[in-house]
Amino acid sequence: MNKSSRILLIEDEVQIRRFVRQALEEEGYSIVESDTMHKALEHLQETAPAMIILDLGLPDGDGVDFIRSVRLHTDMPVLVLSARSSEAEKIHALDNGADDYLTKPFAIGELLARVRALLRRNKTDAPNLEASYRFGEIEVDLAHRQVTRNNAIVHLTPIEHRLLLTMLSNPGKVLTYRHLLRAVWGNAHAESNHYLRIYVGRLRQKLEDDTTQPKHFLTETGIGYRFQP
Amino acid sequence: MRKQPPLQLDAIPPGQPGLTSRAGWIVACCGLTTLLAWPLRGFLEPPNIAMLYLLAVAIVAIRADKLAAIIAAILSTAMLDFFFIHPVLSFSITHMQYAITLAVMLTVALIVADLAARLRLQALAATQREQLSQALYLLASQLAGSTSLQQVAVVTREYLHDNHHCTGMLLIRNNELLQLVEAGHQELSSLQIAAAETALHMSETRHMREADHHWLFLPLRGATYIRGILAIDFGQTPPAHIETQKSLYEAIAALIATSIERLHFFEIAQHTQLQIMDERLRNTLLSAISHDIRTPLTILYGMADTLTRSKLQDSDRTVAEAIREQARRLNSIVSNLLDMAKLRAGNIQLDLQWQPVEEVIGSSIKLLGDALQQHPVNVSIAPDFPLLRFDAVLIERVLCNLFENSVKYAYPDSPIYIRADFLGSFARISVWDRGPGFPPYKLDAVFGLFERGDNESSIQGAGLGLAICRTIVAAHGGEISARNDNGACISFTLPLGNPPHIETESENE
Repeated sequence: MNKSSRILLIEDEVQIRRFVRQALEEEGYSIVESDTMHKALEHLQETAPAMIILDLGLPDGDGVDFIRSVRLHTDMPVLVLSARSSEAEKIHALDNGADDYLTKPFAIGELLARVRALLRRNKTDAPNLEASYRFGEIEVDLAHRQVTRNNAIVHLTPIEHRLLLTMLSNPGKVLTYRHLLRAVWGNAHAESNHYLRIYVGRLRQKLEDDTTQPKHFLTETGIGYRFQP
Repeated sequence: MRKQPPLQLDAIPPGQPGLTSRAGWIVACCGLTTLLAWPLRGFLEPPNIAMLYLLAVAIVAIRADKLAAIIAAILSTAMLDFFFIHPVLSFSITHMQYAITLAVMLTVALIVADLAARLRLQALAATQREQLSQALYLLASQLAGSTSLQQVAVVTREYLHDNHHCTGMLLIRNNELLQLVEAGHQELSSLQIAAAETALHMSETRHMREADHHWLFLPLRGATYIRGILAIDFGQTPPAHIETQKSLYEAIAALIATSIERLHFFEIAQHTQLQIMDERLRNTLLSAISHDIRTPLTILYGMADTLTRSKLQDSDRTVAEAIREQARRLNSIVSNLLDMAKLRAGNIQLDLQWQPVEEVIGSSIKLLGDALQQHPVNVSIAPDFPLLRFDAVLIERVLCNLFENSVKYAYPDSPIYIRADFLGSFARISVWDRGPGFPPYKLDAVFGLFERGDNESSIQGAGLGLAICRTIVAAHGGEISARNDNGACISFTLPLGNPPHIETESENE
């Protein structure tokens, strides 16, 4: 864990800022707070944070616009805080560059886990495509396109393999249906969400212990999937 | 509302002046002419005096009626003969030319009498028509200004009373029943109501006589159907008169029908407008509540969570954990309430997608997380179970509610089971627990709003969870039911439909 990581927290509710700040500071992060988007943009230039935690419902503008302008300059992780029952809002934010979201109310343990995952991903970047990649009892040999589970070879179809690689290269990040369909099938099947669901199901059957309670290929209902190493 | 002057349209039948006024006109005109002409008899030839008499006849014809004019014509001829034609003061005629004068005069006088009387009648009829159309116009404009059925009824009643001296009543159709618009103003006998219903069903004007009263029942025809009946009580007016004026009353009925129809469509338009406003307001309110309640809930939950993470004594930690748990529960209730409100308002667009049911079961189990800690979930789904078409977020909510319900009632550490199978053309998903089950008499009622298995139960929950499950499942075209099978078992169905075909892919490139 990078103890000196600076996090820009943009949230208009002072009490939420208070406990989020306390939790993150206890973990050793330093926090820059902002209650408006306007101030956040200033802080962004002055303090050069390592990641951003952003409440989508800010009083002075659209949070998604903010994400977009951040993405013009940097690929620092953006974690979005959002109310439930607004899947469309979350998808919109994710498609415009947000990396992950938390639904209010959220547990602090969950927040810290997400922050850790996003900062770690940022440090290591995507898995090295030359080498092999390991998660749980699965080992993926990227050079030889070979997947083994407990040293037994697992046969994957080309599409399954492409899907696996797409998810592996974005650990911890929520990938929307649209993003995954584009990456794996191209634009031809951009609306065929059921293809994606079928293939994620097949990956789970081949790589997970319990398909109904997956540990690595997680469902983000109504939004997409997340790969958890 | 303008008050129209009484027009007395058909109170006095045309061209029927009294006997005395008729005689008066004859005597006055003919006598006056004779008196005026008498001193002039030395200067005027009888044919010129005949002209004066013709004038008199014309005046009588215009002022009185045809009969009076004819009498005046004959009388004038006689007077001319008697007073002015030689030999004077005798009816005898000595010269042939005077016989011609008298004959021509009589003929002309009769023609003048006839023409003048006819003209007068036409003028009278024209005036009457004008008055009638003016009255109808006034009625039409007053009806057009009416904003309620009551007002239409009042305008109609006053119009008929003032202009036709009869009593009008509006009966409006309510499904298959006729109702008086001005209830309490006057009651109708069962016989009258029966006549009105006949008029309604036969769609024709009915004439009825009850005691010595005459009634007309006129259907109010709208563009699509008959909207009601105009009942008119004519009292003792002779029926012949009612028959001749029937088309007039039908015209009045048509005016009223148009105006009732306008009110009806106006009401529909207004209702729709209100509904739109209502919906907009509700949506604004819902999102405001959603935001305003969630923010303090997030703070409450987050702060309680912060406390549980800090160094606390065991008793304090228990309190902090309880606060956190209650905040979580409150959030779940608020979510259910908001979803319920949205679903009830009918403005949720289902995001129906073909997907494996296994996935949504998995995400529900993960979402509940710690809440299921004491109850392992036992899932049984065939690996080749077909894709189902549903809104994942909503079905996830159903499953979460069912699991939460099981957790509430299951015996400690007992497992919760979930299974998917088929029931006819439906897929059936069942969740059951090992617990006391539902009270048998309550099996059908558990899905009612704010219904709970046992009213005396100490376990919390608004009963909202199962109600929203039913609403969501119904929106998907399925059904939800409860039964007892060594514990509570709730099953819901989803239509199997025709899942899209997925091409199989070989493992080799």
